Amino acid sequence: MGLLTAYVRMAEGLCYGVGRVAMWLLFVLMGVLLYGAIGRAGSAPPIWTDEMAQFLLMGYFMLGGAYALQMGSAVRMDLLYARWSDRTRAAVDAVTILTLLIYLGVLLWGGIESTQYALEYDERRRGLWRPYMWPIKMVMVAGIVLMLLQCTAFLIRDAAKALGRPLPLAERGE
Amino acid sequence: MMGAAEIALLMFGTMLMLMLTGQRMFGVIGFVAVVASIWLWGERGGYDLAFSQAFKVMGWFPLISLPMFIFMGYVLSESRLADDLYRMFHVWFGPVPGGLAIGTIVLMVLISAMNGLSVAGMAIGATIALPELLKRAYDKRMVTGVIQAGASLGILIPPSVVMVLYAMIARQPVSQLWIAGIIPGLMMAGLFISYIWIRCRINPALGPTIPAEELAAVPRAEKYRLLLAGLLPLAIFAAMMIPFVMGYTRLVESSVIGALAAVTASIFKGRMTWAVLETCTVRTLAISCMFLWIILAALAFGAVFDGLRAVDFVRALFVEDLGLNRWHILILMQLSFIIMGAFLDDTAMLVIVAPLYVPIVRMLEFDLIWYGVLYTITCQIAYMTPPFGYNLFLMRAMAPPEVTLADIYRSVAPFVAVMVLGLALIMAFPQIALWLPQTLNVR
Repeated sequence: MGLLTAYVRMAEGLCYGVGRVAMWLLFVLMGVLLYGAIGRAGSAPPIWTDEMAQFLLMGYFMLGGAYALQMGSAVRMDLLYARWSDRTRAAVDAVTILTLLIYLGVLLWGGIESTQYALEYDERRRGLWRPYMWPIKMVMVAGIVLMLLQCTAFLIRDAAKALGRPLPLAERGE
Repeated sequence: MMGAAEIALLMFGTMLMLMLTGQRMFGVIGFVAVVASIWLWGERGGYDLAFSQAFKVMGWFPLISLPMFIFMGYVLSESRLADDLYRMFHVWFGPVPGGLAIGTIVLMVLISAMNGLSVAGMAIGATIALPELLKRAYDKRMVTGVIQAGASLGILIPPSVVMVLYAMIARQPVSQLWIAGIIPGLMMAGLFISYIWIRCRINPALGPTIPAEELAAVPRAEKYRLLLAGLLPLAIFAAMMIPFVMGYTRLVESSVIGALAAVTASIFKGRMTWAVLETCTVRTLAISCMFLWIILAALAFGAVFDGLRAVDFVRALFVEDLGLNRWHILILMQLSFIIMGAFLDDTAMLVIVAPLYVPIVRMLEFDLIWYGVLYTITCQIAYMTPPFGYNLFLMRAMAPPEVTLADIYRSVAPFVAVMVLGLALIMAFPQIALWLPQTLNVR
C-alpha cells in the first residue's frame, strides 16, 4: 500500500507540475502569432511563426492533458454514472479505465516508432522553415507518458476506493 | 469475415455501450478506434493510425483559435465585465412586460459576439441574470429557458468555435461561415424575443415590469453612462472582426486580438487580478485539452470509418435502400443528428458525425456554407435536449438551488420549438444565411 500511495503521489505531482508550466504556453502562443502578424505587415515576414504556433499548440495540449484529466475535465456520459454511489463508480471506472490505458498504449507505440524514424532519417517538416520533427515528437511522447501515469494513478485510486480502502491522499484539482 | 457495414455498426455499438459505463469519452472513442485499426490493418501499420492523427490536428491552423476564444470567454465571465451590461438592460428594458428576459437575450447576443462557445453566456446568465430575474418574480421556468436559449447563440453568432471545427471538416472558409451565421443568429434572437414578448403579454405574471418609481430613482446621467457600457462588446467585436474581414489578419491572429482586447478591457475596468488571470488560464487549459483529446480520438475513429468506406454505406442506405429525395435525406440527417445529440457529447458528435454527413451533403449538391449554418443550429438544439445536453448540465451546475433539474428540462421545450422553427425557415429560405456572405464577398 505504501508503495502504491507513493506512486500515485509521484505520478500526480509530476502531471500537475508539468501542466502548471504548460498552461502558460498559451501566452507564448499569443506572442508568436502577434510577432508573425506584425512581421507580415512590415518588410520581413518571419517564416517560422506559423509552424512554431502549431508546435506550441501541440505541446500545450499534450503536456497539459494529464493535468486537465486530473482536474476531472474529461467529459463523461453520466446518464447512469450520475445515479451510482461513489463506490460503484470507482469499481466500474477501475475496470473501464483499461480502455484509456489501451488507447494511450497504442498511441505511445505509434509515437515511439515515429520518433525513432524522425531521429534516424533527420525528418523535417516541409515548407520554407523546414524544422526538424524529432523535438515535437518527443514532446508528444512525453505527453502520452504523462497521460499514462495519470491513468494508472486513477486505476490505483479507483481500485482502492472500490475495495473500501481509499488512499490517504487529498483529491487534487477543483 | 464480416462486411464493412457490420464492422462499422459493431464499432458504433461498442462505443455507445462503453460510453454508458460513464468512462471518459475520449478514451472510449480512442479505444474502439485503435482496437479496430489493429484488428483490421495490424500488419500494415494499424498501430500507427491513432498517433498519426496528431499531425492532422497540427495541420489544422485555425484550430489555434480554439484556446484563444475559450480564454476570451473566461476573461469575460471571470472578470465580471458583463455586470454593467446587465445593469444597462435592466434600466432600459425594465418598463416592458418581460423586458428583463428580453434584455437578457440581447445581452446574450452581445456576449456571443465576444466569444465562441456557449459556456461564457451560460456562466454570465446563470450567475448575474438568473438570480436577479428570480428576485423580480419572473417565472423560473421561463427564465431558465431564456438563458439556455440565449447562451446557445454563442455558437451561431461569430466568432464560433463550432463553425471553426465544421469548416475544417467540410474544407470551407471559416470567414464565409461566420458571416453566414450573423443574420440567422439575429433572426433567432428575434424569434426568442417575440416568443417572450407574446407570452408575457398574454400572462403578465410571467414577467412583471419594474415599478416606475424604482426606475425614476436612477439618475438620467447614470442611464446614459450605462448605455456606454454597451459599447464595450461592440469595440471588442470590432477590434477582432474588422481587421479579419478587411484581410489584414487571419482568423487565428484575430482570435489573439480578441483575447487581448478582453484582457485589456478588464484591466481598464480594474477587474483583472492575478487570481482572475490564473483561474482563466487554468480553466482554458482544462477545456482546451479535453476538446483536443476528444478531437484526436474521434479523428482516429473517423479514419477507421474512412478506411471501411462507411460513408458509402450510409449513402447507399439513404439513397438506394430508402429511395429518398435530397430534401428528405437532409431532413432525416438533421433529425438523426438531434437524436444522437441528445446522447452523445457535442464535440464527439461534431467530429464523428460531421465527417459522415458532409460528403453526403456535397453529393446532394447542397451549399456547404448553408449546411454549416443548419448544422450549427442543430448543434444548438442538441446542446439543449435532454437527457444529455451540455447546456442542461451547465445550468444544473450554476443555477440557484430553487431551480430543479425538472424545471431545467421543462424550461427548454418552448425554446427548442422556436429553434426548430428557425431551422425550418433557414432550410426553406437559404438566402437568410447566404445573402450576407455573397454580398460581402470576403475571402
